[in-house]
Amino acid sequence: MRRRTRYKPAVKRNQTFTLNVTSMTDMFTILLVFLLQTYSSSTVELDPVKGLRLPSSNTEKNPVDGIKISISPTELKFDKKTIAAVQNNNIEQAAIDPNDSEFIKPLFDELQKINEAHKLTPDVKIGKVLFQADQDVPYGTLRKIMYTASMAGFPNLKLVTVVGN
Amino acid sequence: MAGRYKPKVNHNSEFELDLAPLLAVMVKLVPVLLVSSAFVQMMIIETELPQVVQQAIEKQDTNPKAAQVAVEINKKDGVRIIVTENGQQKIELVALNSNQQIDMPTLHAKFQEVKKSHPEVFKIEMNPDADVPYKEIVRVMDEARKSRSNDIRFPVKNEKTGQDTTTEYMFPEIVFANMMDG
Repeated sequence: MRRRTRYKPAVKRNQTFTLNVTSMTDMFTILLVFLLQTYSSSTVELDPVKGLRLPSSNTEKNPVDGIKISISPTELKFDKKTIAAVQNNNIEQAAIDPNDSEFIKPLFDELQKINEAHKLTPDVKIGKVLFQADQDVPYGTLRKIMYTASMAGFPNLKLVTVVGN
Repeated sequence: MAGRYKPKVNHNSEFELDLAPLLAVMVKLVPVLLVSSAFVQMMIIETELPQVVQQAIEKQDTNPKAAQVAVEINKKDGVRIIVTENGQQKIELVALNSNQQIDMPTLHAKFQEVKKSHPEVFKIEMNPDADVPYKEIVRVMDEARKSRSNDIRFPVKNEKTGQDTTTEYMFPEIVFANMMDG
């Protein structure tokens, strides 16, 4: 009896094929257009602070350069440096001047350093504060920061908000 | 005589466009843009304004008899708009709505009314209570800054040309008056 041979499909070795990249190019084009649209033209770099939810506003003004102060539910920061802890939306008592309940001593010291540096090398940042505050922080806490900044010669306060709801 | 040579042109021929270089560019561009894109757009609230409005504010600052508008924000009662003119105070209260939130449409309408009666005023003094959250203050500032309706505009005089014009700005300059109170 003749034994039946098992079917073997013919496989061509060294076969080359062309990859159809049209759909991939379509996808990249859409992605590129979207990214170009969302690309921020602002020259000022504002890093979102961890745990800080900014309030939303309908203002149309782009950020300008200035000293960055932020208050989140856990800490008060001067630029990227933590200067005081925040508990229950209140600045820790150790950072508050014992003779003036509105005066934040470490913040004043940092702003004074900027003032002294400005005397040596004039800087455009002087006088302006870019203020990032959590949306739930009460005005009583914000007032302490505003008060201290004004005392240090930084009365021009820019409130940072996010666009839309 | 030999016929003129005509090259054979196949009008139905198809060719494949080489998309590989285009793709290579995109593969490089997309990560660069992804890294540098800001998906959360941040803005600032400040007082840089059109020149005509800026001039009107300067004029208001030099006029001691100009009316003064103060806004008090209270968590229990709502928002009080206090207009002081010639030593007399007029108080408008915008009470909280049923959800114990500030009634923003009513507040905006009140600001429009005040602006209509005092078009020369561009500055308001903000006096929020210590327990008012920051987001509520920003919302009140939003309501006061600009008229939401394009139909409602307010007269302003161009100090340089002397011409009358209109603006949608109501109270763009905000001063935290109780900042030094402690």
